[in-house]
Amino acid sequence: MLNDIFNILLPHIAIGEFIILLMILGIFMPLRQFKYSRLVSILGIVTAIVLLSTVQTEPQYFGFRNSVMSDSYTLLFDFIILSCGFLCAILSRNIIYSIKRHAYTYQAILLAGILGAMNIVSANDFLTLFVSMELMGFSIYFLIAAAKGYYSKEAAFKYLITSAVSSGVFLFGVSYLYGITGSLNFSVIYEYVTENETSLLYSVSSILIALGLISKLAILPFANWVVDVYKGCESSTLAYLSTIPKLAVFGIVCRLLVFPLGSSFELTFVIAILSLITAFWANTYAIRENNVKAILACSSAANSSYIMLAASLVSVYNLSTVIFYLICYVIINIAAFAYLNIYNDKNPMDVNSFAGIFYKNHGLTGAYAIAILGLAGIPITSGFIAKIYLFTAIVKSGLIFVPFLLTLLMLMVFALFYYLKILLPMFEKCDKNTDVPTLKAVFSQKFVLVSCAIIIILIGICPEKLIELCRFIAYNI
Amino acid sequence: MSIILSIPFLVFLPLIISALIISPIFTSNEIVVRRFAKGVCAFHFLYTILMLGFFNAQNPYISEIHFMGMDWIQSLGIKFIFKADSVSMILCALTSFVFFVAIIASKFNIRTNHKFYYSMQFLLMSAILGIFTAGDMFLFFLFWELEMIPAYFLIAEKWSEPANIEFYNDNKKSAIKFILFTFFGSMVMLLGILLLHYYNMSSGGTLSASFSDIFANGIPLKIQILISTCLLIGFGVKLPIIPLHSWLPDAHTNAATPVSMVLAGILLKTGGYGIFRFNYQLMPDAFKVIVPVLAILALINIIYTAFVAYAQIDIKRIIAYSSISNMGLVLLGLCAINKIGLSASIFHMVSHGLVTCGLFMIAGIIYLRYKDRNINTLSGIAANMPRLYGFAVLIILASIGVPLFAPFVSEILTIIGAMNSDFSFVIKCTALLSLPLLILSSCYMLKFLHNGFFGGEINEKINDISVHEFIVLASILGGLVLFGLFPNVILEMIGI
Repeated sequence: MLNDIFNILLPHIAIGEFIILLMILGIFMPLRQFKYSRLVSILGIVTAIVLLSTVQTEPQYFGFRNSVMSDSYTLLFDFIILSCGFLCAILSRNIIYSIKRHAYTYQAILLAGILGAMNIVSANDFLTLFVSMELMGFSIYFLIAAAKGYYSKEAAFKYLITSAVSSGVFLFGVSYLYGITGSLNFSVIYEYVTENETSLLYSVSSILIALGLISKLAILPFANWVVDVYKGCESSTLAYLSTIPKLAVFGIVCRLLVFPLGSSFELTFVIAILSLITAFWANTYAIRENNVKAILACSSAANSSYIMLAASLVSVYNLSTVIFYLICYVIINIAAFAYLNIYNDKNPMDVNSFAGIFYKNHGLTGAYAIAILGLAGIPITSGFIAKIYLFTAIVKSGLIFVPFLLTLLMLMVFALFYYLKILLPMFEKCDKNTDVPTLKAVFSQKFVLVSCAIIIILIGICPEKLIELCRFIAYNI
Repeated sequence: MSIILSIPFLVFLPLIISALIISPIFTSNEIVVRRFAKGVCAFHFLYTILMLGFFNAQNPYISEIHFMGMDWIQSLGIKFIFKADSVSMILCALTSFVFFVAIIASKFNIRTNHKFYYSMQFLLMSAILGIFTAGDMFLFFLFWELEMIPAYFLIAEKWSEPANIEFYNDNKKSAIKFILFTFFGSMVMLLGILLLHYYNMSSGGTLSASFSDIFANGIPLKIQILISTCLLIGFGVKLPIIPLHSWLPDAHTNAATPVSMVLAGILLKTGGYGIFRFNYQLMPDAFKVIVPVLAILALINIIYTAFVAYAQIDIKRIIAYSSISNMGLVLLGLCAINKIGLSASIFHMVSHGLVTCGLFMIAGIIYLRYKDRNINTLSGIAANMPRLYGFAVLIILASIGVPLFAPFVSEILTIIGAMNSDFSFVIKCTALLSLPLLILSSCYMLKFLHNGFFGGEINEKINDISVHEFIVLASILGGLVLFGLFPNVILEMIGI
């Protein structure tokens, strides 16, 4: 048991310790010291990143009676999740200034969500998976609700209900699978599935499990929460909400599709169709929205569906494209929400309220424009490479999927329209009478935005190293 | 020699200049920025001519760029490779020339936001040069997409006056229309490129996206036709081929004069170049199958838009529709699938680039003086501006296709090429049926000349053309006469 701890779980435990530390500090620290909570949580995340070097990856390591595992795949995902958590913790400055009293609790919950996400990726057992999913889900629920105002509570409640329903669906599917195979362990289920012929019940259960998981990714049928939640959410929380659950759930969905659920053809078909419908819904829905957060919500659902379509056509090659796309997407998203965080959530988020902002804040708005162009997939950004790489995966899967790809490409034209809707007002020249806000950013916020923008451009120009890494990870799963 | 004359320098010089001009360290003094831009353009033009002079058809310019010792995207076989054969070099020289005259013409048309304007012009120049010289499909696509951003801003801004606050003024509308049409086309094109890349590899080729490594012969014909159609839709938006053309008149009409010159002079040619490079060169088998359909589309392009142009009353709209009509001729030349047709088609791109540039310049000069582009209300330009009148008559005659000017040679050669096409009967019929173009084009162009220039009374306030405008028109006219008298300069170089 001690071996397991030292081989896999040190980073997880470090995060756990820091959660407890933050809770204790929250009780004993005087109120005016609330600023240090952010430092403590950043320290915790950095510690965990350093401790990732102790995780054993070669060969695959299974611990705690096969309920958790580690290999290079989980290591990569842990690293990305922790890095995103690091950036999100930096961005949480505005919100802890507004909720001073609960700053320490807020940071503790933020870490708890990260812990849940890391656990999801390294789960090798449906029970572990479920518990970690609930840990992450509830943490996000509290994070959303922490912001002041009516809309954040509404958003949190909507998120809670959707998570509860999808958890129910997930458990229902797991119960069927347990009934068929007699185990909750991925390895045992995989063995059973490869040795025995699968029945329709197996397909049904795997579809239910997948549906339960993908609600976190805002893929239909559980996608209607996304717009309302994003609208009511504080932007640093959004940076968190749009990256960390996505990374974790895609991490585990890809593994599930390769191993225990991979034998179900119906599952592939259902997921591919669902993601296509989601792409259609999200892209057409966003056209009539005028709120930046709502548009970004739709874009997040749309991007999930592109990734999901590629992931459902399982192959090792596709897996590498999915990982690459996820990394690029996460960086772009954090940059976008970092800008909204600097812009301040108290200001109106209507697209026209950004009019003329470029001429007063060149650097920051330029970085934001890079992020939005990255989402649209315009060259020299990482989004361009990511889209091309992802689409090569769909083309490779066969001629039947060409209509799917064509639909996606046509939806990209819709997508460009709503990204332009965000982008263009910022470059409008205004009268001198209208007051254009001047952005006040502290160093840490600028750091997040600018470093993400630089990474976006860097990956766009020389992506080869990152692609090689993704291929290496995908071939070693 | 290869170090001094390199394609990446040709392509990235404008990009660097663009970044330099937009950067805060550069002065925002209008005169300095403009003179700097002119100087760079002149240098670039001379440099391109120098490269053209040293060009050797057996030994085209090739250069490859590595990032940290690796290809651009090694795992997909995508390289950052530039390759310029004679067609590329001719179109590069045209690009450089058109941007040069457009930037000279910018003096009177651009009143605000100079840094941004010149920066965007250079960015567009870089992207277009990249399209003409890319040696890899994905690199081609990168420049194709990149070109949209500066083109959007150039069309969307009203450079002559402070912009309107409301979001949907005419310029913005047509710019958004342009960008959505182009993006639609490029997405379909991307599908074609992805399919070509994949099937080229799976049918026994290497994992590579370079033009020189693509051999479509092994791909099943049905898939070739699918790919070819996808690519054609992409290029058809830019060329434009008829059902995809509706962005063009709006964009050209609402843009400022130098921008219209660039759009009509160069941007449309990227579509023709794409059809030549991809459909004609890479997939000849599939091209032969779709050529009859394409020829009929070209015929519709030629005749239908000529009639539409006759019905217009806005000068710029007439010129825009005449561009579509002429691009139909370029398409017809490619459809002939023989040496004459092809070289005539490339030649027509050059001559039409010059002519349309001159026509938009004339329209811009008139609009600047009269604040009006309606041919029913315009009159008396000949009396007020005799020098402009002289140039206008010559350039309009050139556009109609009168001998001594370049368009005459290219139009006649195109039709001869199509008539000689031993490939399909449809092409010959199309060539015959497209002959009325020569009459129709003289109808709408002479209507413009007749209504706008004659009659009216003398207005003291109207000045004749200035030195800058004189230089622009004279150099364009010089080019037209040069290639009209010595068409072999280009035709021998193409020599495909």
